[in-house]
Formats: sequence, structure tokens, C-alpha cells
Amino acid sequence: MNGGFALLLTLVTLTLVKATPIVYAALGGVLSERAGVINIGLEGMMAIGAFAAVVASNVSGSAIVGLLAGIAAGALFGFILGLAATKFKVDQIVAGTGINLIASGAAAYGLVLIFNQPGASPQVNALGNGYWVLVVFALVCTLGISWLLYRTPWGLRVRACGENPGAVKSAGLDPLRLRLIAVVCSGALAGLGGAFLSIGEVNLYSDGMTAGRGFIALAAVIFGRWTPWGATGAAIFFGFFEALQFVLQGRVAWLPSDAMQALPYLAALFALGGLIGKVRAPASDGVPY
Amino acid sequence: MMRYRGLLAGPAGAVAIALVLIAVAMLVAGVSPLDGFAALFGGALGGPRAIAETLVQTTSLLLPALGIALAFRAGLFNIGAEGQLLVGGLCAGAAGAHLNLPAPLTVAILLALGFVGGGIWGAIAGWMKARFNASEIISTLMLNFVAASLANYLVSGPLRSSLASGAETAPVLPNGWLPVLVPETRLTIAILIAIAIAFALRFVFTRTVFGFELRAIGEAPEAARRAGIDMRAMTWLALALSGGIAGVGGATIVTGVLHRFNTQLSPGYGFTAIAVALVGDLNPLWICVAAFGFGILESGGLAMQASAQVPKDAIHVIEGLIVLLLAARRYVATRAPSAAV
Repeated sequence: MNGGFALLLTLVTLTLVKATPIVYAALGGVLSERAGVINIGLEGMMAIGAFAAVVASNVSGSAIVGLLAGIAAGALFGFILGLAATKFKVDQIVAGTGINLIASGAAAYGLVLIFNQPGASPQVNALGNGYWVLVVFALVCTLGISWLLYRTPWGLRVRACGENPGAVKSAGLDPLRLRLIAVVCSGALAGLGGAFLSIGEVNLYSDGMTAGRGFIALAAVIFGRWTPWGATGAAIFFGFFEALQFVLQGRVAWLPSDAMQALPYLAALFALGGLIGKVRAPASDGVPY
Repeated sequence: MMRYRGLLAGPAGAVAIALVLIAVAMLVAGVSPLDGFAALFGGALGGPRAIAETLVQTTSLLLPALGIALAFRAGLFNIGAEGQLLVGGLCAGAAGAHLNLPAPLTVAILLALGFVGGGIWGAIAGWMKARFNASEIISTLMLNFVAASLANYLVSGPLRSSLASGAETAPVLPNGWLPVLVPETRLTIAILIAIAIAFALRFVFTRTVFGFELRAIGEAPEAARRAGIDMRAMTWLALALSGGIAGVGGATIVTGVLHRFNTQLSPGYGFTAIAVALVGDLNPLWICVAAFGFGILESGGLAMQASAQVPKDAIHVIEGLIVLLLAARRYVATRAPSAAV
């Protein structure tokens, strides 16, 4: 029994840890999509955040500086996507695809340029046990963003941008500016998620570290019906399956781990197909204004 | 979805800017751009073998790019070419390990299976859009990952080759190999097949009712609906064809380059192909040119990495920048609100 309890405890803590980066990125996705911008670039923003965090930690010797750099790098890429999607009226999907190419290439290129070693960075100062603060903070962020979106005038305006930017314009506000701010915040959150991966869970950056988590976050947004708590719940659900893979490694033969890996994406597909409740995206999500 | 303007205003300008950016990347890495470009173009075009290898890369990019162009023309964002390519390759590889009919027939069957596999993968997203109005952007993207998991599962289990060391299927039997064009290289008739498909697509786009309907549902969905075009059928058909062409791409890699299916078969051809399709202005013939340009980048990038110490990944940054620059120069019509996610 004791062994079972220990296993359960491992599963719960591991679930929270595995879910955290996805929660941050998914919250970013919720913000940006509620404002009407589909952020396909979450994956790239996570990667660049993870990479920048390691570089800054290496230079400064401080994991906190690394964390801030990760957030800043994500925000910068969010700004690029936001600018493309608002001022330049670039199709959001195309721009997001470009962002992903640039970010993953830049991180890989940076490894060679800065550390002179391809594939992975040397070890840097990481957050150590301090990363639990970030796990808790992810839930605090959910609460905060939920409050922002539903309880403040700014949140109402952002949501209005996602539903009907024309109405926002008529009210004398600038929907493009609101969208831009939302996408920058989205990038910052994704960067934070990336930094959690590189200097929270471990202490280095390696190529392919994000491993599709940005896209899983996108799935969590849909699965969670574009609400902060929904997305966080979905991210925890996906984190649970990731943790389960670790715990069950080699114990359950009939359930291949590849099936588990496909699960978040299948769940998103079913959610999209309306098989899990009715899903409705913001009316102007993905439509340039 | 896209307004066509003078080609030179878009792609040529973007390519010029991209070349300047590559030069900057070289300078940053402490390499003289002259040496860097010499390595890049020397590696890609310096001699018959280098050119053949560049054309191999060209083919692997061209097929998914053509598929993507077909979908984009219909206003459908297929960003699932990577998964469609993988499933196409998987079908060809699984069958190729056992199929031993006369050579031309075997090759034809394997490529057809690639088309079917990729087509099914595209059709799933098309059906979801037609039936539930589910965004094809998200569904094609998610299906990429499902395809990767499926491939990983199959090659590590049911389809695993007893002889292979890694995650791959048993080799394709020699009768299923694509005939080689240039001896001693990996260049096969796949490049001719891809170019033929490009010309066929051009004919479809410009000379057939189906091509017109594709453009109609993309550019004026409401008008198309009122004109009596069956939107649902067109939607899933367009995505099925789009995925099918990408699937043929996967099949040509299996039957022409690797001679077996391997989960590492694509270093992201399906995503780079989006850039190729855009640079080619969604026009099949220009896409051939664009694919060759990107083929130079892909194969020259390896040479550049080896001889000039500029990491290959710099190329991806450039590709991404080209996509952003090009897309920013375009006037993109807003899609109908009903097409929102």
C-alpha cells in the first residue's frame, strides 16, 4: 500500500510539473485568441524563451535573470507576430509558421554561435527547487488572467476584439493596438513556459526541447473552450498523461506510449468535432482586421 | 484568398532581401560572405553530383508544396503536409516491403498508395470542416502529431523490420525502387513525376471547371455557395487531393531515396513547403522554381556547415524570414467569418 501511495504522490507532483509549461503557453494562447489572433507561433516562442533563459543565466550566473530573459524573448517574438498580424495584415497562420521556423532555427544557430556546440548548451545555473514557485504561479496566472478577461474593462475590450473588432473601433478604441498587446502578453507567457523547461525542470537547452508543447497548448486552448480555467484544466489533463507515461514505463504493455503521445492531439480533434460539448471560437478569431 | 500581383514585386524582392540576410548571418558567424556563398552554391551546384542532390531535395519539397498550393487556392490552410507526407511514405514503405510485381507496376502501386495514404489524412480534416465546420488549420496541424505517433508505433511494433537497427520498416523490394536518372546519385524519376504533376495542376487551375470552383470557394465562398457549388464536397475533396499530392512526396522519398520507411524521413519538408508554395505565389510552375531555390538552400546548407562553419540552422531562420517578408507584401483578403476557427 505504501508503495502505491508513493507512486500516486509521484504521479501528482509529476503531473503538475509536466503541465506547467503547457499551462503558461495555453494561457498565452487563450489571451491571443480571445483578442482574435491565432497564435500558431507558441511553439517557436517557447523554444526561443527556453534558449534565451539559458543564455542569460549563463552570462549573468543568475537563474532569475534567465527567467526574465526568457519572458522578454517570448514577448519579442510575440511582438513580431502581433505586428505582422495587425499592422501588416499578414495572414496569421502564415506569420505563425514563419515565426516557428525563425525561432527554432535561431535557437539552434545560437547554440553554435554562443556556446560553440551544436545540439545542446552547457549546463547553467537553474532555478533548483525554486521552480515550484513557478508551478504555483501558473495557477495564480490562470486566476489573474481569468479576472482580467472577465472582470475588467480591458478584458471586455480584448474579448470584443475577438468577437467583433468593428464594434471596438466604433466605440472609439483601437482594436489593432489591443490585439498587439494581447499577442505580446501571449508571447511572454509562452517564453515563461519555455524558460520553465530549460532552467526549471533541467539546467540546459537542447534542440527540440519544446517537443511540440506549443502545439499541445494550442490543443489545450480548444479543449478548454477558449477560457483560462478550461485551458489550464486541459493542460493539466495533458500533463497527467505525460506523467503517466513516465510512471507506467514498461509496466503496461497493452497501451503503447505512442498512443499516449497522440492523446492530446486526438482530444483536440474530438473537441473540434464537437464530440466533447459544443465548442465555439471567438467569432473573429483568425480574421485580420 | 490571395490577390495575384506582379511576381517580381513579391518573390524576387524577398529572395534578394533573404540573400542579404544570409550574408549578414555569415558575417555574424565570422565568415566572409564570399566564402560562405561559395560554399553554399558550390555545395549545391558544384558539379553533377551536387546538382543531383539538390534536385533530390527539390523533389521532396516540390510535391508537398504543390499539394499545399492546391488547398491554399481553395482558401483552405493545409498546414498538415508534414503528416500527410509521413502517412504517404508509411503506406508506400509498408507495402513496398512485400510487394514484388513487375517493376513499373510495383512503383506505380506504391506511389498510388502514397497518394491514398496522404489523401486519407487530408480528407479527415476536410470531412471535419465540411461536417462540423472544424477549422482545418487546427485539425491538419493536430493530425501531423497523430501521424508521427502512428508512424512511431507501427515501426517500433507491427511493421518493425527484424533486420533494422532503428525505427524503420523492412527495405522496399528492388522492384519497387524508382529508376535512377543520374547513375551513382539518389536522383530518380521522382523529379519528373513532380514536374508532371505541377503541369497537370496548372492545367487544372487554369483550364478546368474544377479549378475554377476551387478558386471560387477560396476567394468568394458566399458567391460560390449561391452559384450552387457544393461547398462541402469541394472542401473535403480539395484537402484530400492536397494531402494526396503531399503523400506522393512521402512515397517518392521511400521508393527513391531511402528505399524503406523511416520515421526520420522528413526534416520538416511539409513545413518548409508552405514557404515554397508562398514564394511560388501558389502558381505550380513558379513553385517548381521556388522549390529549386529552397533545394539549393537545403543541400547547400549542409555543405556550408561543413566547409564554412555556418550552421545549417541559419537556413531555417532565412526561410522563416522569407515567409514573413513575402506574406507582409501581400494583400490578404479576409476570409469569411464562418471560416473562423
